[in-house]
Amino acid sequence: MVSPAQDVASHSWGMAVDIDRCIGCQACVVACQAENNLPINEEDHFHQARAFEWIRVERYWEGEFPNIKAHFIPILCQHCENAPCEPVCPVYATYHNDQGMNVQVYNRCVGTRYCANGCPYHVRFFNYWEPVWPESLRNQLNPDVTVRSRGVMEKCSFCIQRIRRGRIDARKEGRQVRDGEIQPACVQACPTNTLVFGDLNDPTSRVSKLRNDRRSYRLLNDTLRTEPNVYYLARVDTTEAEAAHG
Amino acid sequence: MAKNLTRREFVVLAGASTTGAVLFAACNIPEAEFVVQSPTQLPEDLVRGIDAWYATTLCCEGGDSVIVRVMEGRAKKIAGNPDFPINLGKQNVRAESALQMLYHPDRIKTPLARRSKGAPLRPVLWDEAEAQLKGWAEGSGGRITIATNPMRGHAAWVVGNFAKEYGGRHIAFDPLDQGTLHAAIKKVFGQDRLPEFDIENAQTILSIGADWLGTWVSPTRYGVKYGQFRQGEARTRRGMLFHAESRMPLTAAAADRWLPVRPGAEGDLALGVAHEIIEKKLVPDANVQAYLAGINRAVVDAYTADRVTRATGLSAERIHELAEKLAHEGPSLVIGGGSAGAHTNGVQNLSAIYALNYLLGSVGARGGVWFNPPSPFEGVPDSATGASFAEWEKELAGWRAGNVSTLILREANVVHGLPRSADPVGAIAKVEHVVAFATVLDDTTELADLVLPEHSALEDWGTDVPEPGPGYPLVAFQQPVVGAAYTRDGAEKLSDSRGFADTLLRVSGGKAGGDSMRDVVNKAARALFARKGGSVTAPTEELFLKGVLARGGWWDGSRRQATAAARPGTLVDGELRSEFSETEAEVSGEELHLVPFAHQSLMNGRLAAAPWAQATPDPITSAVWATWAELNPETAARLDVREGDRLIIRSSLGEIEALAYVHPAAAPDTVAVPVGQGHASYGRYARGRGANVLSILVDKKDSETGALAWAATRVKVSKAGGALRVPKFEGSGEVARQAEPGVPVITVREGESAEDAKHRLESGHKVLE
Repeated sequence: MVSPAQDVASHSWGMAVDIDRCIGCQACVVACQAENNLPINEEDHFHQARAFEWIRVERYWEGEFPNIKAHFIPILCQHCENAPCEPVCPVYATYHNDQGMNVQVYNRCVGTRYCANGCPYHVRFFNYWEPVWPESLRNQLNPDVTVRSRGVMEKCSFCIQRIRRGRIDARKEGRQVRDGEIQPACVQACPTNTLVFGDLNDPTSRVSKLRNDRRSYRLLNDTLRTEPNVYYLARVDTTEAEAAHG
Repeated sequence: MAKNLTRREFVVLAGASTTGAVLFAACNIPEAEFVVQSPTQLPEDLVRGIDAWYATTLCCEGGDSVIVRVMEGRAKKIAGNPDFPINLGKQNVRAESALQMLYHPDRIKTPLARRSKGAPLRPVLWDEAEAQLKGWAEGSGGRITIATNPMRGHAAWVVGNFAKEYGGRHIAFDPLDQGTLHAAIKKVFGQDRLPEFDIENAQTILSIGADWLGTWVSPTRYGVKYGQFRQGEARTRRGMLFHAESRMPLTAAAADRWLPVRPGAEGDLALGVAHEIIEKKLVPDANVQAYLAGINRAVVDAYTADRVTRATGLSAERIHELAEKLAHEGPSLVIGGGSAGAHTNGVQNLSAIYALNYLLGSVGARGGVWFNPPSPFEGVPDSATGASFAEWEKELAGWRAGNVSTLILREANVVHGLPRSADPVGAIAKVEHVVAFATVLDDTTELADLVLPEHSALEDWGTDVPEPGPGYPLVAFQQPVVGAAYTRDGAEKLSDSRGFADTLLRVSGGKAGGDSMRDVVNKAARALFARKGGSVTAPTEELFLKGVLARGGWWDGSRRQATAAARPGTLVDGELRSEFSETEAEVSGEELHLVPFAHQSLMNGRLAAAPWAQATPDPITSAVWATWAELNPETAARLDVREGDRLIIRSSLGEIEALAYVHPAAAPDTVAVPVGQGHASYGRYARGRGANVLSILVDKKDSETGALAWAATRVKVSKAGGALRVPKFEGSGEVARQAEPGVPVITVREGESAEDAKHRLESGHKVLE
């Protein structure tokens, strides 16, 4: 039997994002919104740059027409080991837990937004309004996830509700969580398997292997030393050398 | 869901009580025993705090199967069915919108009827409504038409039976119809169903016009295959993708090389590549002979590099590179569709494209084109496409002439989807009795005399024979995963809806194929049970039915289709010529090709009612909730246009207004506009939003099929005056962010590490992090 203490201590959750597979289709974005009760992003929210996307797909251009390329990269909370958002919170609403995750406690948050100012990845979202759904659409809300109220900061949780359920199921069966058994909603949806989630403490897990891939890198880590738990795998460009020479 | 439900574990979650044992099997997967119970008879989805996952299909493009998380009788989440061979646990951006259509605040609550033409719609009882429909059908004297979306499976079979029973006709509508694709596949390969593309095992892929990673045919399935094509663990080399199309869709963005071919010259490119391969003797003679069985040698000889360069706008080096890669770095695969088939020579374009597979030895080969067997059910439609525009013109002429007294509409929004020249509103006005099935009233169903609230996809029974299939017999099963949806206080139903096919069965007294769709689905399962074998085996028919419902479908990987294709007849025996509409000389503005394209989340407008679909950023522009027009920066400069400027886009048949988006990857002689917005009615989230580009398409047709040549319209673009902000996710004020210091994308050369790439780029004064 695995004790709760053993179970907690044994995990360090992380994600690998292979941008050579990413096609920018946005399936991860909508899956996250459905799973985590994100409010409906109305047109005005985009004009005000206050739309919520715990995971977003950024698109960058390289070159000029006709030799132009688009590159997609999904960006979510990097769950940094040295998270700039954590020490600035006056009420400990955001902290680093013992499983490698940057966690947000909604009912501690008093809405200073210091954490959002400190985050270099722009992955924190502030509830400027009370989220509103038409009554009938509230039927869809996920009962495992709190609906955040006005004045509260929120962000990607690695679908912690799924992690908890997976761990409870494994514990009930007296075993460790199996690699790939727990999937955040974005990982589950991604058609191309760009996103891989797992335990970085398990050297045999897929995410551990991808972390050690030659193409692996972390966003802004060289300069800011944030030590993210999200690892990116570089896009392979077989025509890049040629383009560089015009 | 807490777990990664690989294989079949999810069925165990469907319930704990035992009603029997069913054996599940699949190709290459050993049989295992699971205890399941019928998800449709369960009380336990009402147990507080306990969730269940039920499998069903949304009967949409591609035929994906999904699992739906249900808790306390309410659907909470949709995910791909991990066991289903088409989508292997994955989903596309559109799947979740089915939840919002189920709980849509503007769902039609009860049947509605008008006392006379022009009178307001008033609630009526279902009995009255069905009696009315029955009376009209029986009194039509064969003058009855059922217009629906392209349908497959048993619901389509019931509709066909109903039409036959009353001496009428079933006609399908798809604004961006794939008729030229189906016709070309038939001509080139002799197949009635779309083929399977072995993308994951191909080394080089050329796709022309078909946005198979975004909106074309079966994007979820193709996405799964693409992941393998790029970084599959079993591969020794990463695959290489070329995509040719005048606009940059997702597939072009993912490609190693995007080839912005001029509209209408897609077939020229295919012939130019063939010319290069044959002239340089890059492939064996046998391949050349197979290819020339369909393509006139003199025609190929005429498509020299110079000529193709002039026609396509692509350099001779690009065409040469393409020919070399396809011929020498196989297995190679060529895919065509979308805008390449939407010209006056659409079938010829696509025939020239698909014939390349013979030249490359890719027909029936690993990494090439495979074929699908017909439906396991005799007479049940296993392929669907919209009727051609020419057929629709004829049908509408019949409505105007009074040849149709009863019109039944279901997901056929012809008022929104047909060009203005067809005047669908005027034609519908001449039909005596118009009946519409709908979940939310749209532009067309608003005109009905009798409106019947239809189940959403998550409440209905049915089957689907996905097209394309995986190369062996496969059926997806649809079942209600929730009961009637109620308001949160439980006081009233959100919609007193019924199934479309169910209603037709009831009205026909069972003559359309059975007493109910549940009965029809049961019979379908019994037919599969009698075949013995496949993914589900059980000792009794009842247990077999429960097994296929729990698993989401049935398939038999042991019955892979023989790969022999019919040798093609004459495909191309003359030069390819595409015609475009004229613009009016007296109208001012820049003359450009209009490139309409399916919206990534709204598709052809079918999902415009769902707020998630509206708010999902377009992957390239990040625009939301609006209609935008993509212009090349040079074109925009000539017009003195900036982002957000209101533009008038005018064809010879009308004009629309859209907001300018200056797009660095737009071709200079085109203006690309997404399809999907501009609804006069379709619920609160779609109504009055954006513009409908379909309305200004000129009625040019494919010369062989009569399909609408929806990429053959030329327009004049001018400023309307004034500007608005384009609603989009990307920061305002930025036209485009180049890869430059601070940008998080790193690209590496093959075999290079990210660290080495960083050093290389730093030394070249191009720092990426």
